[in-house]
Amino acid sequence: MAASTYSPSQGAERRQRQQQMRRLSIQSDWDRSDGRSFIQCRPAFLRTGAANAASGSAYAEFGTTKVIVSVFGPRESKKAMMYSDIGRLNCNVTFTTFATSLRGQGSDNKEYSAMLHKALEGAVILETFPKTTVDVFALVLESGGSDLPVIISCASLALADAGIMMYDLVSSVSVSCIGKNILIDPTNEEEVCQDGSLVLACMPARNEVTQLTLTGEWSLPKINEAMELCMDACLKLAGIMRSCLKESANLSN
Amino acid sequence: MRDLHLSLNQTQRVRLQAALDQLESYAASTAAAAASVTVADSIPVNHEDNILKGHGTSDLDGQVVATLCGVVERVNKLVYVRALRSRYKPEVGDIIVGRVIEIAPKRWRLEINFSQDAVLMLSSMNLPDGIQRRRTAVDELNMRSIFVENDVICAEVRGFQHDGSLQLQARSQKYGKLEKGQLLTVPPYLVKRRKQHFHHLDQYNVDLIVGCNGFVWVGEHVETSEKESTLLSDKPSGKQETDNSVPLETRRHICRIANAVRLLSVIGLTLTVESVTETVEASLRSNIEINEMLGSEFYVQTVEREAQRRASMVRKRS
Repeated sequence: MAASTYSPSQGAERRQRQQQMRRLSIQSDWDRSDGRSFIQCRPAFLRTGAANAASGSAYAEFGTTKVIVSVFGPRESKKAMMYSDIGRLNCNVTFTTFATSLRGQGSDNKEYSAMLHKALEGAVILETFPKTTVDVFALVLESGGSDLPVIISCASLALADAGIMMYDLVSSVSVSCIGKNILIDPTNEEEVCQDGSLVLACMPARNEVTQLTLTGEWSLPKINEAMELCMDACLKLAGIMRSCLKESANLSN
Repeated sequence: MRDLHLSLNQTQRVRLQAALDQLESYAASTAAAAASVTVADSIPVNHEDNILKGHGTSDLDGQVVATLCGVVERVNKLVYVRALRSRYKPEVGDIIVGRVIEIAPKRWRLEINFSQDAVLMLSSMNLPDGIQRRRTAVDELNMRSIFVENDVICAEVRGFQHDGSLQLQARSQKYGKLEKGQLLTVPPYLVKRRKQHFHHLDQYNVDLIVGCNGFVWVGEHVETSEKESTLLSDKPSGKQETDNSVPLETRRHICRIANAVRLLSVIGLTLTVESVTETVEASLRSNIEINEMLGSEFYVQTVEREAQRRASMVRKRS
């Protein structure tokens, strides 16, 4: 390794911590690193109007996960695009170079971009802006676990701020399954040692799910339990998002 | 007041808060309880039947639900949501200011803060020679002599095409290319439709064009008849015209008026020629330099003046 670049390698330490977590997960009862209970989310901070140049923007901070989303448009689709009666939603998720503990990893995240698009597609009324495109750019400033749900919630807030017609706000929450336990809103280190994860994005006022991603090992009763937990958390998160929008509306009046 | 990064001192903060409170109390008393909604809030309609659901609303299990963040407006049976922050929605006859982004066959494409680009056809504008005739291929080749990319021009909304795209027209001498001035962009809701959008501020020798799309032009005054003559004359004189520069005094006025527009848009006050001139005069009266107009002191003063103005209006009414 070149001596000029300093990149602390914490591999051994991290592995040790993971093993410790795994050992803990066998037990039914243990404490989470930030002192939450298993069914407690991190404190959420949401604010609209984070970027001035955009038509709408929002900033979200859930624990150490920090995301900024800007929405541009609706603006005319590029010429090469075919004529379409409905609008297009273009989503792009980027990580800053300093977002993760391993530095220099920042780049476009194709997988998250596609998942963000799928989660929002159902909520935005695309028929209201034919021939045009709405661009959603999400930038993860710091990745502290459960990034995708935070991006989805923040993006729907930014869309609402931009005055784009939607059926409902989309709020999203993820849970991890570790051993016998189900943990809501997992942090990075909890995500590393999970057996399975579930990301749920829904429109709470309509009681409709826009996206459900299930990975890893799950048993049927656990899925049910996790779903219910997520739906309940989404409902509460939507309440916070709503009050954030109300607050900004009152400010501008 | 989203893009506000002022460093107020203690007294200024207290004064600003007092003025804002005062403004808020008037707003509460005048507006008939402007009900602001966010996405998916249900709008109470008191179970009235045959309600007309307008823009920004949708139906969910027999309830009227908002699909936008904004203010609920009611006109008889029609219920709609007026969005707080959205792009410009053109109406036929609006005066707009826009920027040419592309020259296409027989047409110019303009950016006007609408969701699509506006189209100005060659056939829907007066030719420089002023003769009414069919447009020929030669005219089409000479389009770049009229407007090129990045020119700021002023036009009128002619209508919509079946696919929703917007057509403009510029069939008068007052429309056309805008030169020697500043283009400012403000949120479109700050501009109300009025009879007059072209203003000639005599005392400053400045033209103020308040486009309905939120693009505001502040530039040196041009006589429309003179404009015609320059257009009529051939190229050498046109070059001469670009050579003669704007006098320093007029430039100062342009900057002062532009800063007044910026300040009003940051505070979120409606842009009218009266409010702009009033702000300019106030800045002159209190000897505020042009660059200090966007500072905290004049900001607080402007808010206070607006509060006073509304107070006097309320007193007059009662």
